[in-house]
Amino acid sequence: MKAQELILIIEDDQAISKMLSLSLHQHGFKTLLAADIKSAVRLIHTNSPDLIILDLGLPDGDGKGLIKKVRAELSVPIIVVSARHEEKEVIASLDAGADDYVMKPFSIDELLARVRSAQRRFLGLQPNVNVILCHEITLDIEHHLVAKKGEPLKLTPTEFNLLKYFILHRNQVLPYSRILKEIWGVGYQNEMQYLRTYINTLRKKIETDVARPTYIHTEMGIGYRFTCDIAYQE
Amino acid sequence: MNLIYPYRHYMVSILLIILITIVSQVFKLQLGLINIALIHLIPVIVIALHGNMKSTFMVTLSTVLIFDLLHVPPEKSFDVHDLSYIWSFIIFFIVGYTISSQAKRIQTNAIKEIFLNTLSHDLKTPLSSILGNASLLLQEKMNDPHVRREVLIQINDSSQRMNRLVANLLDSARLQDTQSALRKEWCDFEDIVGVALQEFRYNPKQSQIEITIDPELRLFWGDCALLVRLIVNLIDNALKYTDEGKAIRLTITETGKKIKVLCFNESYPIKKADLKNMFDRFYRLEHSADIRGSGIGLSICRDIVSAHNGEIEAYNVQKGVCFEITFPVAKSPVSGLKDLL
Repeated sequence: MKAQELILIIEDDQAISKMLSLSLHQHGFKTLLAADIKSAVRLIHTNSPDLIILDLGLPDGDGKGLIKKVRAELSVPIIVVSARHEEKEVIASLDAGADDYVMKPFSIDELLARVRSAQRRFLGLQPNVNVILCHEITLDIEHHLVAKKGEPLKLTPTEFNLLKYFILHRNQVLPYSRILKEIWGVGYQNEMQYLRTYINTLRKKIETDVARPTYIHTEMGIGYRFTCDIAYQE
Repeated sequence: MNLIYPYRHYMVSILLIILITIVSQVFKLQLGLINIALIHLIPVIVIALHGNMKSTFMVTLSTVLIFDLLHVPPEKSFDVHDLSYIWSFIIFFIVGYTISSQAKRIQTNAIKEIFLNTLSHDLKTPLSSILGNASLLLQEKMNDPHVRREVLIQINDSSQRMNRLVANLLDSARLQDTQSALRKEWCDFEDIVGVALQEFRYNPKQSQIEITIDPELRLFWGDCALLVRLIVNLIDNALKYTDEGKAIRLTITETGKKIKVLCFNESYPIKKADLKNMFDRFYRLEHSADIRGSGIGLSICRDIVSAHNGEIEAYNVQKGVCFEITFPVAKSPVSGLKDLL
């Protein structure tokens, strides 16, 4: 049995940091608290945590600076916590190297899901394989095939690339501009209507109820997240 | 009636000016020029009390012109021989401006007061539910898991309500700002409805909502976050007034140059007067409502719709109530994108 994972919570609001550490304890994590960036930097150096939860609204300065600093020194997943109407800050933090985000007010389930998927990604539990199964959807990268419940789906090359990108980065928030750059190439980062149109047609092909999607979730103002809890690799 | 209503200030002032002109023409000799000038201040003051700067200016201008035309020598001309009359005209404008801005200030204060009263009421209601239920849980004899769960659902429900209210207030503040506050981009209504429904995922009545979206619906140039709020408020409203097991239908279609959002819910018909007024801010206040929530939701719907140059109305239909929103499609996404697929 591996030692308990250590999570550093950087949050200046006591009620929130207490709730976070209580619920993380309940789920078997050890926690450390820092109320500002200065003490956070010190704790990161002395304790080398396994994961960092960082509130963007700290009193003593810019969370993005801290993210860059941590990224330059350590390989540790960072999840940022932000207030509503701060989508730009979230995107900037993701670009600075944060792995995921939750928006206040968030539920503990939501945060724990983010923590787990960030851990999985960091531990490299996703080996390179050619066939990935996500709920009812099977993606065969090598043969360019997609099937839902065993029935083959007809996807255009762009739709296929989009779905492939989503499944390879499942359970991870993907900012609009990153998807556009990845699928359409540099120079297309702002062509939102391409993305919206393709998401629309892709949803019609893979989702059972497009108004209540189970795979492609919209993170308003930030990007998309492909949800897939059970992914078997063959 | 509705056509005249926005111009009622002007109607009143035209009548006043006519009356004053008659009086000052008839009693010209008895009154003397100074008193006639003072009488001409009456319409300026009456209109300025409404606090509308534009109508005050218009009325002041027309009163000054008529006064000049009929009473300032040389009469029946706009010429002014004695420059001191120019001062009279300036004083007219100063009086109008001062009263108008004061009236405006008083009005804003009144609105602020109603706003604070409603807000504190609407925040206190869910808050007292949360506090009450939380203290129930803290009692030691609370052992029945069913009751505990019931209490927790109440807490969750009230918190969601508070969260929605705060979100509405933030958006409302953003809308009060200026047009430039809109963050327009290409929005997919299917996407927007999906995000809006997420807010109600724990609502037991959620499955009653039936969604129909035109599969050919084009992207819409708008503020996606505000459109989400619009749909959330419509659904929230429908859920509040629909009994368990009754239908709620959200339909989005595109016809020609318009996108139409229809939200139907099965309920008792709404009174005619209420159908018009319920989009006014804090309308619910006067009805000291029986149903939770503030009067702010629908008024924000109206603000969001008009920020997108659309129209919103409500009407009774068979077995229920229908909210209809039409958005003009001002900007179309680049055609031919489908050909690339």
